[in-house]
Amino acid sequence: MHLLKNRWIITVGILPALFIYLLFSIVPIFISFYYSFMSWNGFSEMQFVGLANFKELFQDSVFWLSVRNNILVVLASVFGQIPIALALALLLNRKIKGAKFFRTVGFMPVVISTVVISITWRMIYNSEYGMLNNFLEAIGLGALAQNWLGDPTWAMIAVCITIIWQFVGLYFIIFLSALQTVPNEILEAADLDGASEWQKTRFVVLPSIWNIILVSIVLCISGSLKTFDLIFVMTSGGPANATEVMATYMYNKTFEGLRYGYGSAISVLIFIFSMVLILITTKLLRRKEV
Amino acid sequence: MSKTVVDYDTLSRQAKKKKYTKKGTIYLILILFTIVNAYPILWMIMNSFKTGQEFAFDPFGLPNEWVFVNYVDAWVTANIGSYFFNSLFVGITALFICILIGSLASYFLARFDFKGRNMLYGFFVVGLLVPIHATLVPMFILMQKLGFMNTHLALIFPYIAFNLPITIFLLTSFMRSFPKEIEESAIMDGCSVFRIFWSIILPMSRPALATAVILNFINNWNEFSFALVLINDDALSTLPLGLANFAGQYTTNYTAQMAGLTLVLIPTILFYLIMEKQIVNGMTQGAVKG
Repeated sequence: MHLLKNRWIITVGILPALFIYLLFSIVPIFISFYYSFMSWNGFSEMQFVGLANFKELFQDSVFWLSVRNNILVVLASVFGQIPIALALALLLNRKIKGAKFFRTVGFMPVVISTVVISITWRMIYNSEYGMLNNFLEAIGLGALAQNWLGDPTWAMIAVCITIIWQFVGLYFIIFLSALQTVPNEILEAADLDGASEWQKTRFVVLPSIWNIILVSIVLCISGSLKTFDLIFVMTSGGPANATEVMATYMYNKTFEGLRYGYGSAISVLIFIFSMVLILITTKLLRRKEV
Repeated sequence: MSKTVVDYDTLSRQAKKKKYTKKGTIYLILILFTIVNAYPILWMIMNSFKTGQEFAFDPFGLPNEWVFVNYVDAWVTANIGSYFFNSLFVGITALFICILIGSLASYFLARFDFKGRNMLYGFFVVGLLVPIHATLVPMFILMQKLGFMNTHLALIFPYIAFNLPITIFLLTSFMRSFPKEIEESAIMDGCSVFRIFWSIILPMSRPALATAVILNFINNWNEFSFALVLINDDALSTLPLGLANFAGQYTTNYTAQMAGLTLVLIPTILFYLIMEKQIVNGMTQGAVKG
């Protein structure tokens, strides 16, 4: 660390980053708070309405449906992505021919743009030409064919499967590289003691990568809270709000319904909801660690 | 790996058999995972070379005759070339500015001692948690007020702002690891603070810079929600936005949609295969450390 006499040099160095960060990332959050007390349609004069937007929001059943769906996405991600990724990483963490190939293909969906993934899966789920229904028919299970994204009972499940598919690879690779840091000596010692593979996994491997698992869970929660693109492109929240999440509802109310104040109020709740959930999970997981 | 040598013939044969079935099961699961991961993409690429009729009749096989009419359709009706250029322009401009001001700020945050340094650093890093969607409505209004709506500036600034936290986080922790002596002789020689940054610290930070550049680029390249809200002009659309609009208009022309997606997908996959190691490192590090 160096002490610098010239304070203004530091200011000059940090100011550009601070300015852009403040103006385009932090300030908008506060503006949302302000706008959430207003009512206007984008053209009309802004009108102060106090807490009316929030009052309406708390009685808005579609909003609560979108909260529920958001929670479903979080649960599907945490209980889908993490266990599948962990199991696959444990399987691949040994001498296996083609390990590199499995890794490469495993991670591939993570780099593909969400929009491409959404459109592709929209076609996979298509009721007439989709791959899924064609496949079911080909193996004689044609009776199970559904209008996956058009049927409110299936749409949310279909969306969640795509979300799991998209990010399993990320956690798979994270776990795989964590597994390679597990010291070999301990595993060899366990071998000499005649530990079975399951015992080694349970008592040596998992405890030593536990921290990474926790980090991944937090990551998975905060990542799945950000779900917007995928659902917006796949279903726009439909059919009949069946796949509406908070962000798509906010978009639809603001830019389709032209209720800017109401949309801002939803934004504020998205912000609070995300922060609270992330805080709670980090707290809970930290406590377990001790 | 230690192997126990067993003389008993039958026992060893049994063990071998068991070992092979186990290995076989592991391969089976990994291959299944690979198919689930890669097949949707291959399905799409394959069908993009079929006529609409052939796709409806035989969606699984290879094309009987490889046709390129879908590519002509996609290229002509969707301005993929112009989306491509817009994405590159916005992505690279934002990346360049973000890395420049981000590394400069990181340099002061990492190498100098001043009051409020830790607080400032924490303030930047907290940005990792800001949910993008909570800022869409205020960003829309802010861009209108600034007169940036429907210009590339409307995307460049938010892209910089939302990539600054991870950029500063990665670079600051990397720059902190250099020994203090590094700058001392340069200071003795009368080098200016900015000269030290440019000719000593920046070149030394190359590995962290590479990670930051890749993360910035992938984030910008795939970004959809800001583009959706802030760009209304097809001529200014980035790839994700243009593609979503194209697929929305040609909902029934599946093979053309697939051709459009393939055109976008191929460069991404090539980029991924060429730079796999850096991309995977960048994305997993960026995720875990963030």
